[in-house]
Amino acid sequence: MKVMIVDDEQAIRDALGRKLKREGYEVIACQNGLDAVRAFHSERPDIVILDIIMPEGMDGLTVCRRIREVADTPIMMLSAQAVTEDDIVDGLNAGADEYLAKPVRLNEFVARVLALLRRAQMTTLETDQRYDDGHLSIDLHRRQVYVDGKNEHLTPTEFKLLAVLMENAGRVVSQRDLLEQVWGREYIDDVYYPRVYISQLRRKIERDAANPAYILTEHRVGYRFEKQPIAPQKAL
Amino acid sequence: MTGLNTITLLINAVMLPLALAFLVIILWNDVRKELNQFFAAFLFLVILWNGGSMLAQGLTLIDPQSELIKPMIGLMELGFTGSSVAVYVLTAVIVKAHTRRFRAVGLAGLLVLLLFRLLPIIANAPSSFVTASTGEFSYQSQPLLVVFYVIFDWGTLYLLWRYRRKARSRTVSVGIALFVIGQSFGFLNPELQTFSLSINISAVSALIISFAILGQEIISPLAERNSEVEAIRKVNVAITSQTGIDTLLNQVATLAATLLGADGVGIFLNSNDQLQLAYAHELPNNPLQTLPVSSGGLAGTATQTLHSVHLDNYGREWRGLDDLPFARETFGSVICTPLIHGGEAIGALMVVAAQRHGRLFWNEDVYMLELLGAQAAVAIVHNRLLKEQAELTQQVEIARSQLEAVLDSTENPVLAVDRRFNLIFANPAAEDLFSIQESIARPIQSLVPAGVLPKNSMAVLHHLRHHQAYTYEVAYSGKIYLCSLTRLGQARTRGWVAVLNDVTQLKELDRIKSEMVRMTSHDLKNPLQAAMANLELLQDDLMDNSDDEVWESVKVIDKQLQRMERIIRGILDLERVKSGTLSLEMCHPSRIVQNAIYELRERAADGKITLQTQVAEALPEFACDVEQFERAIINLVENAIKFTLPNGTVIVRAYEQDHALLFEVADSGVGIEKDFQTRVFDRFYRANQKGTEHVSGSGLGLSLVKAVVENHRGTVWLESAPGVGTTFFVSIPIVQVKQEAYE
Repeated sequence: MKVMIVDDEQAIRDALGRKLKREGYEVIACQNGLDAVRAFHSERPDIVILDIIMPEGMDGLTVCRRIREVADTPIMMLSAQAVTEDDIVDGLNAGADEYLAKPVRLNEFVARVLALLRRAQMTTLETDQRYDDGHLSIDLHRRQVYVDGKNEHLTPTEFKLLAVLMENAGRVVSQRDLLEQVWGREYIDDVYYPRVYISQLRRKIERDAANPAYILTEHRVGYRFEKQPIAPQKAL
Repeated sequence: MTGLNTITLLINAVMLPLALAFLVIILWNDVRKELNQFFAAFLFLVILWNGGSMLAQGLTLIDPQSELIKPMIGLMELGFTGSSVAVYVLTAVIVKAHTRRFRAVGLAGLLVLLLFRLLPIIANAPSSFVTASTGEFSYQSQPLLVVFYVIFDWGTLYLLWRYRRKARSRTVSVGIALFVIGQSFGFLNPELQTFSLSINISAVSALIISFAILGQEIISPLAERNSEVEAIRKVNVAITSQTGIDTLLNQVATLAATLLGADGVGIFLNSNDQLQLAYAHELPNNPLQTLPVSSGGLAGTATQTLHSVHLDNYGREWRGLDDLPFARETFGSVICTPLIHGGEAIGALMVVAAQRHGRLFWNEDVYMLELLGAQAAVAIVHNRLLKEQAELTQQVEIARSQLEAVLDSTENPVLAVDRRFNLIFANPAAEDLFSIQESIARPIQSLVPAGVLPKNSMAVLHHLRHHQAYTYEVAYSGKIYLCSLTRLGQARTRGWVAVLNDVTQLKELDRIKSEMVRMTSHDLKNPLQAAMANLELLQDDLMDNSDDEVWESVKVIDKQLQRMERIIRGILDLERVKSGTLSLEMCHPSRIVQNAIYELRERAADGKITLQTQVAEALPEFACDVEQFERAIINLVENAIKFTLPNGTVIVRAYEQDHALLFEVADSGVGIEKDFQTRVFDRFYRANQKGTEHVSGSGLGLSLVKAVVENHRGTVWLESAPGVGTTFFVSIPIVQVKQEAYE
């Protein structure tokens, strides 16, 4: 497993790298955004650990967006900047799967890296459920989502979230269950994750993200996937 | 003496109707006047005398043997004797040499005399007169009667001489003197047969006296009325001319002097019970002289008694203190009248006649002076009021212009509206800001954009009814203002004032500060991350090493790094609470309490502290930012655990009270000393209290609590007793929040 660490602080790069190596990972360290994008293309890591604020050139958010343009590789933001929830949301909106605030304990860090990799590696799901109503078409097995016949690119986290909701279509899935099933037990307290990802998902699959039809909010409980009547077939 | 007899008859015939006419006139004019009464008595007796004499003479001519002659002679004798007494009494009245009971005594005397004279007539006693057939009377001298007449006539002359200055009319004096002389002729020498002459002289002089008294009592007052009217007019002119007080006093004094023929006039004014000679006309004026009202001077007496004092001779009659230097030596007749306004004496007006050659003041003069005094008092008070008003107006004007200058020069826009929200004031800064052009008295809504006015104006007005001020933020023309509304008027609201403070720079500073905090924390967190990560690696490396001291050091470093992390997190949490908006949702208080207890159960167990909850049943849900609020309660409970010794108890309560939700965190800990109680909510404040040295913390926990609670429009306070424990209270008003507020 290749882990790419992007951080302008050498001490942090070294410490995290050493820990990961001890855990048996291969580590690629980059000290700025540009190097990171280059290294990503040449090395194709399995996971990226990104600092947000880097003094030279590209910052973490840009690097994240660049990577997302070409790959679903799980990305973990590791930042000292997090002050408000908005900062975290910004990071997640840029396409990150995970946001960790510095300082983080090495053991927790390693656990999160592992969880993220595990989530990303679930390339195929055991179900062969499909959904198609003419507007939205989902193939869980092949991990494909079509909106109005066009292939919509979902990150692993987004896809996992959609899958969990779809499997429970018509039923309310609580925030806690969502966190546990999509992100893992460790994330049970990160209540803002579902909120951010649900809005991302809505933007991608709903006709009108402000008035969602598929993913509905159940106040104070959680979210529910609602199947829609089949729309008249349009020319593909 | 036939010729004379005829003349006597003639004079009698002229005299009688005239005297009768005068009698009627004088009684008709004013019967209550003492002088008039005595004059009437005198005139009546003279008429008796003359009438009796005329009838007796006439009857003698007709029939010398007539039985009627004798009573007529008796009548004449009665008149003669009576008028001799009456002229004395009248003189005494005229020169005012009479006492209070004088009138009664005088009248009684006359009555006795009448009886004395009537009795012989009734008893038909021999007359002291012998009547000749020609109608002549011859007087049989009676020594006793002569003595009687001499006493009264000379007494009259003495009075006249002694009090000559007091006789107002010289004519009266001359008439009386003539009358006495004439009467004396009658009995000087019976041989001279001068009785008829005496009658004639007396009759003429009685007419002279009548003329003079009539003139004095009726004619001259009528004439004087003109000058009185003139005086009043002049005083009124002086009042309305609104000149300075000195000019006014001058006018009053001059008027008084001219009107009353006084040699000097003084006007005393009362200030703080001190009488000061405010104006002196022809009087020794000592400007520094002030006398207490109660000092007993003439002016003081008049001021105190509120009555005029009238003296004929100041030097001789005044028993009190001298009003002015040399007053006793130089003042003759004096009238002092109080200047009364609104029932209070504001001073006194004094007219003075010189002791030598000065005139004597009469009662009429007193009335006159009182009249003048009343007018003068009004004028003086009026003048003072005018002056005070002018000063007041000036002061108000000065204050107003100062205030205006302040408001004009201040950069803060200031607006004021009346109860109908019409603009009543806008300073230049406000006019500039809102481009208001002389649009005073127009509704404020039409002058400033709606965004500037408070959103819920009814609620704001309600708030202002109970509070000093209402403050809200206004963003206008690229700037941020803090608008402070206050009520105008004391008891009753007359309007509202808005003062706008430009806080754009402060906001900017606040933003920069937040930025600084973020940067700083970022710069601190990276080294911290590196240090912590490396420490953990080191711990892994040292796993096999059993050197206790090395382990001890590693633990200390770890602990200190954690502490540093806590502090940084505390700062950022606080910053987040202070700058962030609340994401409100309805939440049940018990959930908050349960979560907090759950979070801290291990720490409590570590410290051997019992955690208890007492949450009232059926509490309403309330709107809060669950994460923040939970953090606040956790901080309170954490704090309580920290300061409670092992085996202690921490109780968390939640209940409803007075439309507010109350959270209570009570511990049985060390307590907080009074001096520290107010400061525990301050940032980074840690009380240096004995028994708490072992407790570690960032000093930010309680300030976070305060910030969170205030964000929720609540209040937080504490009650504590050292050694007993501390209870923190959080009160949140219960507000109904609609479902839409969720998310």
